[in-house]
Amino acid sequence: MSPLILKLILQSTEQTLEMVLASTAISVLLGLPLALFMIATGPRGLYRLPFAARLIGMIVDAVRAVPFIILLVLLIPVTRFVAGTSLGTEAAIVPLSIAGIPYFARIAEMALREVDSGLIDAVRAMGGTRLTIIRSVLIAEAMPSLVTGVTVTLISMVGASAMAGVIGAGGLGDLAIRYGYQRFNTTVMFGVVVVLIIMVSVMQILGNALARWLKH
Amino acid sequence: MRPILDIQHVTHAFGHHTALHDISFSIKQGEVVGLIGRSGAGKSTLLRCLCALERPQQGHILLDGVDLTTQTERQLVRARRKIGLVFQHFNLLTSRTVAGNIALPLQIAGRPRKDHAKRIAELLALVGLEGFEDKYPSQLSGGQKQRVGIARALAAEPTLLLCDEATSALDPESTNSILALLADINRTLGLTIILITHEMEVVRRFAQRILVLDHGRLVEDGSLLDILRDGQENQTLHKLLADIRPSLPAFIAENLSPSPLTEPHKTIIRLVLSGDSATTPLFSMLYAHYAVKATLLQGGVTTISQRLSGDIILSLEGEHIEQALAFLKTATQSMEVLGYVPSHP
Repeated sequence: MSPLILKLILQSTEQTLEMVLASTAISVLLGLPLALFMIATGPRGLYRLPFAARLIGMIVDAVRAVPFIILLVLLIPVTRFVAGTSLGTEAAIVPLSIAGIPYFARIAEMALREVDSGLIDAVRAMGGTRLTIIRSVLIAEAMPSLVTGVTVTLISMVGASAMAGVIGAGGLGDLAIRYGYQRFNTTVMFGVVVVLIIMVSVMQILGNALARWLKH
Repeated sequence: MRPILDIQHVTHAFGHHTALHDISFSIKQGEVVGLIGRSGAGKSTLLRCLCALERPQQGHILLDGVDLTTQTERQLVRARRKIGLVFQHFNLLTSRTVAGNIALPLQIAGRPRKDHAKRIAELLALVGLEGFEDKYPSQLSGGQKQRVGIARALAAEPTLLLCDEATSALDPESTNSILALLADINRTLGLTIILITHEMEVVRRFAQRILVLDHGRLVEDGSLLDILRDGQENQTLHKLLADIRPSLPAFIAENLSPSPLTEPHKTIIRLVLSGDSATTPLFSMLYAHYAVKATLLQGGVTTISQRLSGDIILSLEGEHIEQALAFLKTATQSMEVLGYVPSHP
């Protein structure tokens, strides 16, 4: 493997990690409140607002229905507005996050729904406020599942970021297509695949370990 | 003395189904009350009303003089802190240690954080789990989890402890130790306890007073002896009592006929004894006065709410059976003729 190829792979790895970590962080930060909103306003929730719950659910599903490659192009004006440019690694974080927020929101919603309703009743009966219930029961009890959800989201973002080459964001996927596929450079293709496998495996192992540790 | 809990004409329905129908009773400070009923009798609905999770459609619930039915949601949050709740499935937070679980009601009640450790140690000593502070619920047995549940319920010094099927998920040994613990708490802290259960066996142990709920109505309010007496006529009570009463041995039950036989026969009776009658030498009296021989078929004398009581099935045979039965009717709490079997089957 020539030093040039090595440098390319290294640089692309860096770009992929930047996109994946930043977009996952944003997805969790905004997706979790969205999930809490859906749970709390839904039937049997703490603040019942069935109409709001359905509306948010529909928006979440609508975004998730659009294939990421289409979303990437569709969101170019939004990306330009938020990031100031529609091209490059930083710009790709915008569409990746917009795809990731509803994705993580649904996973988190499932995790929160799994929390035993007996625990919510118990803390309500103790005279706990709704904020206490959300913090000490819902989020705390769902934590191992939420961590698993973050792992799944991270890995999905690795996959999605491969398409970000379309808007010039670089990354491993883009490298594999331009060098490996279009220029028949098997070495690059192979190198990229190995790096991706290692990256995903490390994420999965760390995520599992953290979830297991949190489960007691 | 003002009752600690006063339920006045509580009625609650879900759609067309009336879950509670005009329930009234009151409970005094320090009482241990068993609330018993089969599933669907309305126990859970009453419980949810008592701990202010559900607002009854009619009637009033006064806890320590405060009417829970007229309070706003914000006021109810405060009122709920006066009720300790122990659950069938423990409902401990798996993400928190034993100490963390017991600390939750303290945090909710706004106790200063520096006092938590001392209070938690006190409570763990009370429930017999010293040194368990840092264990997680998943590391505990069912009985231990329920002890933590009780410690948590007591943490914020409630005026009333509600136990919802607190022993139904436990093995007999743990059930015994949890009931003993609750009796101990009642004695030492003078805490009022309501045990909600479908098992007569549980309330028999130490409830001084038993409320029986059936199809949303309160059908009995009295001691176990009252229930044993009334159980002859009342089918609901009869069924509930079946769990704890001695039953006829199979070989007798098969041959039992409801009316006296023409051939020589034995009369099978059930007696309920209490206090003095439980220690009277009934057998020798029957033989001496009426020449009636009595054989014990099933049952014995036990302690029911700290009084000696007996619930036994006898077979009687002899000359003056009628007089003997008349004597037993006056000498015991209750006498019931179950039937007749041939002397030599």
